[in-house]
This record gives sequence, C-alpha cells and structure tokens, in this order.
Amino acid sequence: MNAVPILLEQETSATETYNRDSVTAAEFYKGKIRSVPKVPIKTLADFSIWYTPGIAEVSRRISKDTSLSFEMTGRWNSVAILTDGTRVLGIGNVGPEAAMPVMEGKALLFNYLGGVNAVPIPIRVQDREAFFDVAKALEPSFGGFNLEDIESPKCFFLLEKLQKELEIPVWHDDQLGTASIILAGLYNALKITGKQLKDVRLVLLGSGAANVATAHLLKAAGFNMGNITLVDSKGILNPSREDMDSLMINNPWKYDLAMMTNSDRLTGGPAEAIRGADVVVSASRSDPGFMKQDWIRLMQDDPIIFALANPFPEIWPSKAKEAGARIVATGRGDFPNQINNSLVFPAVFRGVLDARAKGVNFDVMVTASREIAEFIKDPHEDRIVPNMGDWEMYPQVASAVAAKTSELGLSRVRGSRNQFLSTATEIIEENRRFYQKSVESGMVRELKEAGIIGKEY
Amino acid sequence: MARNIEIRSAEEKDIPGILEMLRRLKKLNEEFDTRFTVSDDMEGRAAGLLKKVIHDRDGYLVLVAFSSKKIAGLIMIDVIDRIFYSPPGEGRITEFYIMPEFRRSGLGKVMLERAYSAMKERKIGLLTAEFPSLNVIARNFYTKDGFRELMSIFGKRMGEVAE
Repeated sequence: MNAVPILLEQETSATETYNRDSVTAAEFYKGKIRSVPKVPIKTLADFSIWYTPGIAEVSRRISKDTSLSFEMTGRWNSVAILTDGTRVLGIGNVGPEAAMPVMEGKALLFNYLGGVNAVPIPIRVQDREAFFDVAKALEPSFGGFNLEDIESPKCFFLLEKLQKELEIPVWHDDQLGTASIILAGLYNALKITGKQLKDVRLVLLGSGAANVATAHLLKAAGFNMGNITLVDSKGILNPSREDMDSLMINNPWKYDLAMMTNSDRLTGGPAEAIRGADVVVSASRSDPGFMKQDWIRLMQDDPIIFALANPFPEIWPSKAKEAGARIVATGRGDFPNQINNSLVFPAVFRGVLDARAKGVNFDVMVTASREIAEFIKDPHEDRIVPNMGDWEMYPQVASAVAAKTSELGLSRVRGSRNQFLSTATEIIEENRRFYQKSVESGMVRELKEAGIIGKEY
Repeated sequence: MARNIEIRSAEEKDIPGILEMLRRLKKLNEEFDTRFTVSDDMEGRAAGLLKKVIHDRDGYLVLVAFSSKKIAGLIMIDVIDRIFYSPPGEGRITEFYIMPEFRRSGLGKVMLERAYSAMKERKIGLLTAEFPSLNVIARNFYTKDGFRELMSIFGKRMGEVAE
C-alpha cells in the first residue's frame, strides 16, 4: 500500500474524532466566550459609577466628541466578526445560525492570541447592500470589523466599500489574512532559494478570494505583475478570454488582474501556466491528486510549492519533493510550513486597535508580512513561517502594524514602535494571565468534565 | 494612448473580426438584462446585416481599430433623418466595443473623436448613443464626454409569440 491512502485513512479517522468531540464540547460548554466585568463591584452603590447616575456624564462627553468612545468605553479593543454564513469553511452556504460556532471559534483565537475582544455577529441579509447597511450601522460600537466566510465576489464588494466608507479598519480574513501569510512565506522561500522578488515567475492556481487578494498584495510588495499568472476553472486568466466582459461586470477585482498580469499572454491550463515558473501558490481544490508531479518537473530550479487547500493539499508534500520541489508549504499543521491565517489576524488587529486606526491597507499588510517573515531568524526549507506557539511574534507584528498605520496617517494616536510594542505586549500578556487564572481556578472547566478524555488537545 | 493603432472604415474582410466583437458586445448586454439574451443564430444574421451596412456609406458609419493587425475596437453609427426636429441629422452609436486588452489606453476616446470628425464632415449636428440602461460603465463614459440622457426606451415582455 502506498503512503497516500494511509494518510487519507488516518486523516479521515482523526477528522471523525474531532467532529465527535466538537459536538460533545459544544453541547457541554454552550458557547465559547462570555462577557466578564473588568471593573470592581464591591457594593451595589458602585453601580452609581458604572451605571446611572454617574455614567450620564461620560455619555455627555462622548456626545460632544465621539472619538472619546475609543478612550472611555471598550470600543478601542472590540472587533465585530461579521458573516452572512454564505461560505462557511469548506461546508458552503449554511446560513447565519450555523455560522455561529465557527465565528465563536474565531473570537476565541482573537482573544487568546491577540487579547482582542471579538464579538461574533452572523447576520441574516438578502443581499450585499443590506449587509453593508448593517455593518455601517454597527460601526459606532467597534474599533474594527473582521468579515468572515462570505461568498465571492460579494466579499470583494463588501471589503472595498466598507474600507472606503468606514472610519475603522475592515479586514476580510479569507482574503487579507491568507494573502499576508502567503507573502510572509514567500519572503523566506525566496531568501532560501536566492530568487529575486522582481524576477520570479509566479503562478496562482485558483482565483478565489485568497488568490485574488494575494495577487493584489504581491503588487503592493513589488512583484512584477507581468510575471504573475492566475489560473481558474476556465484556464489561464488573460484579456482575450470570452468571459472578460462578464468578469468586468460581476468580478471587477479579477478582471483587473486579467489586465495587469500574464504579460506573455499565456493561454491554456495549469500545465501551460506552470511551465518555467519559480513559484506555484495553489488555493484551488482539496484533492492531493490535483497538482501533478509532471507540472513541478516543468518548473525552474528550486521550485517553491504552496499547496494550500484544506483539508487535503493539492499535492502531498512528499510527492512534491519527489518531483523536485525545494520548498513545500500547506495549510495543515501536521506538515512543515503551515500557511495559517491565525499567524496574522490577531496581531494585525492588536496593532490597528492599539493605534486606534481608521483603516488598514495593502502597505500595512506588506509590513505585517515582512515582520512575520523576519521573526524567523534562520529560515530553512522546513521553517519559512512561525507557528501559533511563537507567542513573541504577535506583539512584534502588532507593533510594526501600529507604527506603520501611524506613519501612514491612518491612526488616531501616534506612537513609536517601542511604545506600541510595550502596549501590545502588556495587553496580550495580561489577557493570557487572566485566562490562565480562570483555568487554574476551575472557572474554565476542563475538557474531561465534558467527557472528552484520552487525548491531549 | 494605445500602441500602433490604425483606425479606418470597415471593409468586408473585417467582418469576421467585427462579428467576434459584436458577439462579445451582445453577450455583455446579456449580463445587464435578460431581455438582451443573445439569439442562437446571431452571427449568421449579423454577417448579412454587416455586408449591407459596410457598403451603405450614407446610412451608416463603421469604424474599426487595429493594433499590429489585431482587431482592437469597433464603433458603428446609424445615420438618422430627424424629420420633426432640428438639427435634422443624427448619428446614433448603436455598437461600440473595445477589446479588453486595449481598454484603459484611451482608444475609446480616440474612436469617439474620429466619429465626431466623420459626423461633422457629413454635416450631422447631433451624436447620440444607445446602450442597456444598467450599463453604468457606458453611462459614465458618455457622460464624461458631455453626453446627457435624451430619451428612454421601456420594454415589456409579451409572453410566447409564434415565429
């Protein structure tokens, strides 16, 4: 028996265990986050400070200067996780109620890794305009928005319009988070192979939210767009394709890329695109047989392969290496080089919240990606990006992000890199101490109490 | 401006290239409204019409743009006798298409200016343009060049009609 069926069998078995335990835990804990007071309440008289009558004066002051809402309420550290549930994980359009457990999980990561108070808000809306209206109406309550699991191309429209119209940072993690960690991985992969950013020929297999955003981020990072080729289900993206006008109307973000990439005007499918390329970033099909070894053999020396589909990469790392790949990254934690959004969004939001930022853009993302890459002091084939256990990375990246927004005039408060580093470190560490004490005191119950035993998660 | 562009009146040999652009243009219209669903025999019928239009130099103006022998753009204008109004001559742009690769290069504007010159030579005092109501891109393009809305065409589907 070869290795692939064994891996598939093991993976299927592990997935079944995770599924069962998730259901058991969901029934036991009935939600993953909760609101806990952060002010002292010793007697009921204290409510005269925290609530009426005293609090009216705080309201009056904020009414005169709404920017005080960032200083006198928890807005500065609050993020809404907004979704309509139209593209949840790999399970599709499941609706807002079914999106909630996933959004709660995201809120948990926000808090655990970045010390951010994130509120999951799945909403029931008919169209993208209604989604925009809801988001705009919620703006006064939050310091930032994280859009999550929204179908394409609606997600492009919402991100662009909300970023343009709102005075808080708006992030779509499926686009921007993925793009940022891909760029971070590329920085180190290029460093290891000695390839130059402006010279590399790069293929993006799949033209969904992640790769469209990645292409735009690569442009901001200085890659030569003419050397980039995108491939979707209809083949290589190029201006002569029959569906160009349809894209112009329905997906102008992808249309723009068709105009600015592929200067050789390649046509055909993945094999034609990959021939002579240095890098392939695939975010397309969860099928380990999708990417062929023969395609990798068509590439330049020291091929770099990012096979990012989940749960199964487009090619197993061992197969890619066998075909000559020098560096392979996947979306999974059980192989080296996991390209994982969780390395990005907690730190980016920690940074933009500390800077009270009015927005976030590709320049800020390039800074975040570079900082993540540079966190690895001695990158090698099996370590091009950090992992979630690299705690020190989060305040480092957060402070770089905050300083960049300050430099770009996007922040409400100004500060040095060191000041922002100190703030981010303090918030993240205090949050971690608070949580640790909750666990140690038994306020957060152990998984074994839920009947989940026999495995250390 | 687009590179090495040649703009000239259409000839019969250009018909295959023009047909490709018309097919793309009509498919684009289909994106805006299902009332513009492209018919299966569009190309065959359009080829016949094009032969007539290209040779009727008084009734029509058909300009095509080429870049390195590759067809890049098309503008087709009906010359209309305005019986009730003044000025009496109107040129109506019925088809205007730039191949995606040549967009954002100023070619559309250049072709429009060539149309202005040709209309002036024919003493035509009014240039108009028709396009699907929901085509915001076309609306913005013409508005930017000084056009304004003159007339609306409303449509209502009449159900199945025997051929």
